[in-house]
Amino acid sequence: MVKLLAVLSVPATLVAAVASLGVAVVDVREGGPDGHHIVVPVPLALVQTALAFAPEEKVRVKLDRAAKHLPLAREVLEALAAGPDGELVRVEEPGEQVVITKVGDTLRVHVHDGNDDVTVNVPIPLAMAAIPDSEGRIPMVNLAGALGGVRFTDLVDVRSGNDHVKVYVF
Amino acid sequence: MKRSVLIGSGLLAVALVPGALPAAEGPTPWLHVRVEEPGRSSRVHVNLPLPVVEVALKAAPQALESHGHIFGHDGKGFTVSDFRRMWGELKKAGDTELVSVEDQDENVRVARRGAVVEVKIDRKGKEAVKVEVPVEVVDALLSGEGDELNVRAALAQLQKRRGDIVRVNDENSTVRIWIDEQS
Repeated sequence: MVKLLAVLSVPATLVAAVASLGVAVVDVREGGPDGHHIVVPVPLALVQTALAFAPEEKVRVKLDRAAKHLPLAREVLEALAAGPDGELVRVEEPGEQVVITKVGDTLRVHVHDGNDDVTVNVPIPLAMAAIPDSEGRIPMVNLAGALGGVRFTDLVDVRSGNDHVKVYVF
Repeated sequence: MKRSVLIGSGLLAVALVPGALPAAEGPTPWLHVRVEEPGRSSRVHVNLPLPVVEVALKAAPQALESHGHIFGHDGKGFTVSDFRRMWGELKKAGDTELVSVEDQDENVRVARRGAVVEVKIDRKGKEAVKVEVPVEVVDALLSGEGDELNVRAALAQLQKRRGDIVRVNDENSTVRIWIDEQS
């Protein structure tokens, strides 16, 4: 019995350790009676490590004239983060609706179009970490670090008819 | 038990004080833009904290100083310097009608009324456009040098403004821009 407990404690400890560092989950539910349910959990530490070691040339974007506006983009995001919560944008047309709301340090974008509903939560620190430097390099180490701060967040929620896709971090 | 509840409440209050301090600085002003087209059942609402607008408009002055002409185009019309001189003279006149253009279907009036410069366009006897710009904002806008508009100073003045800035009532659409302290 003790041996069995000792053997089981190793994977249990590993699972607990991975869970304590955070897990990103992609959850896909297909509608209909034969619909599949696919759940892909990815340890956040693995994502962070992969990001930190991503080859520099693969994460470089061509900026051209956008380069000079990057500091401004960062300042706007900082001002948004420091500002009060509230509904920032609402666009309504028959059958369509787009709403962007600031809740805490997250920008929530909700799009409703006919039978489709898409909700994307963009953590502002993550968006700031993803802004490339003046040479177009996305600072992956910063991005990996910011990912640690998005735990317990529903990043994406897409409902299309009976299909449902969710990406969340716990 | 009572003692620990009291200590707990005290600690909670101390913890909440830093969070409450920014509120003492006063509520954040919000710039609101509403564009509605009832015929198409279309509505666009944009609400932005004014400090965010101020940051976002940092790029604007470059565009504003490159042409130097605020009315008219292709080198015609008033330059910013011309308008600054005229504004200096007009301010001395106090409340007065600055511009009045009367057409068959449309009347345009620009007048100073107390603390605001009011631009009104009436079409077929109905108010179509109304723009109210505080005198201080015009002063601040014209506080730059040469053909430069001082947008940052104008925005700083707008921070103090509460109420409507622009109202447009078209046949098919309405536009309203205003500042208040509600999100």
